[in-house]
Amino acid sequence: MTTRTTSRILAFFISLLFFSTLAIDTAFAQVPDPGTPGPLAVTREEYNFGDTAFQPSNFPGPVELRASIHYPTALAGPYPVIILLHGRHATCFKGGSQLLQWPCTTNGSQPIPSFQGYDYVSEVLASHGYVVVSVSANGVNAVDNFVFDLGALARAELIQKHLDILNGFNTTGGSPFGTKFVGKFDLTRVGTMGHSRGGEGVVRHYVLNNDLGAPYGIKAVFPLAPVDFNRFVVNNAALNVLLPYCDGDVSDLQGVHFYDDARYNVPGDTSPKHYELVMGANHNFYNTIWSPSSPFPGAVNDWLAFVPGGHSDSQCGSGKGNQRLTEAQQRGTGLAYMSAFFRAYVGGESQFIPILTGDAPPPPSAQTNNLFVSYHAPANLRFDVNRLLNDTNLTVNTAGGAVTQTDLTPYELCGGDAPQPQRCLPDQSNARQPHTTPSARSPLRGLSQLKTGWNSITGNYRNNVPAALGNVSRFQAIQFRVSVNFADARNLTDLAQDFRVVLTDASGSSASVRVSDVSSALYFPPGEVGPVPKVVLNTVRVPLSAFGGVNLNAVRSVQLTFNERLQGGVLITDVAFASAP
Amino acid sequence: MKRSLMNRCLAITLVVLPLLFASGSVALAQRNPDKELPLKQMLSLPGRVVSEAKTARPTGELKLTGYRVEELQLPRNLTVQLHGQQLTVDKAWRVTVNGGPFSVRAMPAVIWIDDQIVGNGIENETLSQITAITFDSSLIREGGVVSLSYGEDKEARVKISQRLQLKREGGNQ
Repeated sequence: MTTRTTSRILAFFISLLFFSTLAIDTAFAQVPDPGTPGPLAVTREEYNFGDTAFQPSNFPGPVELRASIHYPTALAGPYPVIILLHGRHATCFKGGSQLLQWPCTTNGSQPIPSFQGYDYVSEVLASHGYVVVSVSANGVNAVDNFVFDLGALARAELIQKHLDILNGFNTTGGSPFGTKFVGKFDLTRVGTMGHSRGGEGVVRHYVLNNDLGAPYGIKAVFPLAPVDFNRFVVNNAALNVLLPYCDGDVSDLQGVHFYDDARYNVPGDTSPKHYELVMGANHNFYNTIWSPSSPFPGAVNDWLAFVPGGHSDSQCGSGKGNQRLTEAQQRGTGLAYMSAFFRAYVGGESQFIPILTGDAPPPPSAQTNNLFVSYHAPANLRFDVNRLLNDTNLTVNTAGGAVTQTDLTPYELCGGDAPQPQRCLPDQSNARQPHTTPSARSPLRGLSQLKTGWNSITGNYRNNVPAALGNVSRFQAIQFRVSVNFADARNLTDLAQDFRVVLTDASGSSASVRVSDVSSALYFPPGEVGPVPKVVLNTVRVPLSAFGGVNLNAVRSVQLTFNERLQGGVLITDVAFASAP
Repeated sequence: MKRSLMNRCLAITLVVLPLLFASGSVALAQRNPDKELPLKQMLSLPGRVVSEAKTARPTGELKLTGYRVEELQLPRNLTVQLHGQQLTVDKAWRVTVNGGPFSVRAMPAVIWIDDQIVGNGIENETLSQITAITFDSSLIREGGVVSLSYGEDKEARVKISQRLQLKREGGNQ
């Protein structure tokens, strides 16, 4: 091939890329950025009823009742309420030393104000008409390892206690605010965000609030880099899990279980579920108090501090060319997706939903495009073709159609309930396969996945759709979750995979879409040290409008045709037609 | 091997720890608290040192400086489940790893002897020690290697090179 020809081909592809990008940008130009400050002036105050004011049930120590409250200064209202809960961290400090005690009894020691670490989110949400309360939980952190559930229930009860306090402010008023908040809070519209162990705390709280008869209307739950020791599940409320790829603390990303466990747990669940895998993000930078720029002891870059040899990792390390996000960039992703999620599902600002389904790219406030969005549609907006839950689904899918494969090997399920193997990558550590990592306090297994691969371009995976169910015209997209299996030697390191999605109708008309034209989810998982690389199954959503010439009223099959690479290996689940809320 | 270890740890966790921990779960609400011994109390019981070591210099990223294994004579018998069997025990073993200062993390510290988990670790207030309790005497064996991880990730363990050397006699601490 001549240099000139090469240049022309290159120019063609660059043009193609440009116009594709332009088309996507144009299509979603109307999606505003949820992370930009709003029009309302914001006031920040705190309330503090004392370091030992609350005693969670059967818990070995007292807990403080202290929180910050951000609210629109004009105080019109009533405003939806967002509760934020930090995770486990040192509780006190003296000079440059961190301490784990509560209250801070060592002479001269003071509390570490972890609850102030999300003010960057609170300010923006309040400026759009939300009341945001960030709860201090040092008393829980000091002794949560003494209890079997590692503090999940104590955190849940603490949140409920603060909601009770807010309810008091909202109805009769009370110290220290008098009556200024009476009638200003809408406690039928509440969202909760918890970070780290706080992430499990907000899930546990959702269950607790329901057990108490749902006195507060929890509409949306956002676990951020969460642990999931106990495997509680959120159903019938919107769920969003944020997973930092370079998490050095919860390095197995076990919080993905919250999404996986919730999908088919309750028939008819009308709530959407989402997660974002944020490349280059760590655990601590989402909290400003825990980040290296903070003046408080114990603030570290967790990847570098906790992962042996972590400095040298090409993705998460500190060497030249690493893909790490700065503190500001990382908080940008938190701000953008927390704002989009709460404004959409608590505030009813549905214009942000395309950001959460992956139909729109990350907004500018996210400060990076290097993240992957997964989405599980509510039951009424989804037609499950193949849930891939058990061996039957290898030959008959969830819709009742035949399943066939050609030249795929292996072709088996892994990760789900026995007799499936517990892990899909038997020679890799749990940290490298989050969907199947065990939980410290639960015997539940992980995500059932199709483990497969191909050795020639004839590889094909086909799900037939019964004629009675073939009208899929009411849906927006065909979607599935997928990860390149980095442990399969047929995948070349650092080279993205690719294949095609094919729809065929009753007349035999077919159309195909190359995955790489609509998604970059087929990346080769990056990194070499400790918890990375890791397989996280990201959603690929292919708009049905891309299948020109196919009668969407009479679709008969969905195929994945592995003819874009000579060989490869992937993990797949959740094949479905779906629409956004 | 990995799976059987996990099943074993899970059995111990599900049965032994509820006997120790004051927790709010439904199952625990049915216990007779008079027969239990809070973990806090077990951390402060006097113990007989059965093995102890200090490293010449801090080891690994966790800067481990040594360990101490103590035998505890319980103030009353406890019924526990070990290896699938209900047992009445009058002794426990307290394994303390020194080093740090240890970070307060989301993932719990886990103390190991060889490839067996002793238990989840509890940090002391100054974050210089992490302690776990076990009722399983088989873990306390001559030549055993003490190590520490966060979560149950074997590959991430930091080991203390000095192996257990069990003392036949020792004074109360």
